[in-house]
Amino acid sequence: MRGLAALRTLVVVLAALVIVAPIVIVVVTAFSPTDFFVFPPPSLSLRWFHEFFSLSEMRDAFSLSLELAVMASSAAVVLAIPAALFVARRSGPVVTAVQALFLAPLVFPTIILGLALLLFYRTIHMPILPGLLLAHSVVGAPYAFRTTLAGLQSFDPALEEAGHSLGAGPLQTFFLVVLPLIWPSVLSGWLFAFIVSFGELNTALFLTGPGHTTLPIEIFSYLQFQGSQLVVAAASAIQVAMILIMVAAIERAVGLRRLVRA
Amino acid sequence: MPARSLQSLGWALALPPVLFLLAFFVGPLLYLLYVSFHGASTSDLYNAELTLANYAAIAGDPFYLRVLLRTLETAAAIMGLCLAVGYPVAMLVAKLPRRRREIASILLLLPLMVSNVVRAYGWVAILGRRGLVNIALGKVGLIDAPLALLYTPAAVVLGLATILLPYMVISIANTLASLDRRYEEAAQALGAGPIRTFLHVTLPLSSPGVASGLLLVFLLTLSAYVTVTLLGGPPSKLLVSLVYDNVVSFQWPRAAALAFVLLAVALVVSALILAVLRPGRVRGRGR
Repeated sequence: MRGLAALRTLVVVLAALVIVAPIVIVVVTAFSPTDFFVFPPPSLSLRWFHEFFSLSEMRDAFSLSLELAVMASSAAVVLAIPAALFVARRSGPVVTAVQALFLAPLVFPTIILGLALLLFYRTIHMPILPGLLLAHSVVGAPYAFRTTLAGLQSFDPALEEAGHSLGAGPLQTFFLVVLPLIWPSVLSGWLFAFIVSFGELNTALFLTGPGHTTLPIEIFSYLQFQGSQLVVAAASAIQVAMILIMVAAIERAVGLRRLVRA
Repeated sequence: MPARSLQSLGWALALPPVLFLLAFFVGPLLYLLYVSFHGASTSDLYNAELTLANYAAIAGDPFYLRVLLRTLETAAAIMGLCLAVGYPVAMLVAKLPRRRREIASILLLLPLMVSNVVRAYGWVAILGRRGLVNIALGKVGLIDAPLALLYTPAAVVLGLATILLPYMVISIANTLASLDRRYEEAAQALGAGPIRTFLHVTLPLSSPGVASGLLLVFLLTLSAYVTVTLLGGPPSKLLVSLVYDNVVSFQWPRAAALAFVLLAVALVVSALILAVLRPGRVRGRGR
């Protein structure tokens, strides 16, 4: 059995290595002063970050991704709250269908959704920016829905009834009783939807256009056409840094463990 | 009587978000299906005539069948690798005390938040002609010319398997952690050794986690255009690459038909995974 245990330790170490190493290598490379990929870099420099912010297409992609993520995750939360309120304390085929509809984008091959939206947008002449925003909202909605639903299902309905019996109307009860109780779930859903939108590739692949590109798609096209430029590493490091900032925000605001319990 | 709570508004409450998803998710998919039954047009998205020509062309062309087969092989290799590495890791994670298990789950979740294009780029930096492996092997003097590691099917399998591995680990670990330990104890009390206990008790009881892990890995592999393109290059194109290629060459109806072939593959393989593993048969998942 000792041999088996040693083998398992080896597998775990190997798994951790292959998951983490690619990300670490990219982030370290971003600080390289060299023209091309050298690992480990001979010294550290901010050269490629300067380059990143001096390239207007990179800068624009970064700010578009940021704006999209803020708006799309907010839209996802606004969609998710009423749907979760509807599903939370009901059962039956209609409720199951609504729940399935909201969770579907989670497992649905998103490349198909991207293509479907592309054709739909072309037919109704949808401009690029609102089109992207709507797509990112659909992709983010399941995350907001799941955490909000978990929050609604874990609080005592008696608190809501207390609100009513003290004379609060439905909207008052929602904003004064329900929302304060579920806000950590709503917030972690918002942050999760933000992260998903900020890294989204499959729908954005079809829906971005000239002058309106998101950061992940900009990184992808650089890798395809000028891959040796290390400015892509800086762009990637900035992508990772934003995710870390959001994760720190989740940890501070609601605690990361809420994410793995839901 | 006025509505007492927002929840008692019922349908009025759910209607706006449901309509939104019908308009921007379900509706466009039905439209895509409709487009797939038309021929190409030079001036419009498609011509007016209804036809099965796109599907017939796909079914009749050995090129498409080869790519379909390659897609299934690649996905099978990725799922196999994820399962073989993910299961032992999940067993270890599941045995941790609750607090440390939650920390392990968070650590597994973090890399999933990084965009896949960044994680694929990491593998390009490792496997590329001037990548980490070639630099290292060159320094040691094992090779004279760089090895062609990138743009191979193996690079796609390695890259996607490592990108998707955390999903497999999390799925299996969640199921294992919620297993009732008494089943394993009972098997051992009845004289089964550790290997027999694992094969006849633990493994079947963990089938819901294995099934959901396999489903996630498979479905995400089917959509992974960016990773497949960066690591596989032109010689290792998968079904998803063909969808993209047809979009870029404005063959909308053909692209639409290929998208539904992709969806059909997704449904059939998902149904197969569920039929073989039958996660529904596991009951009594107490603490």
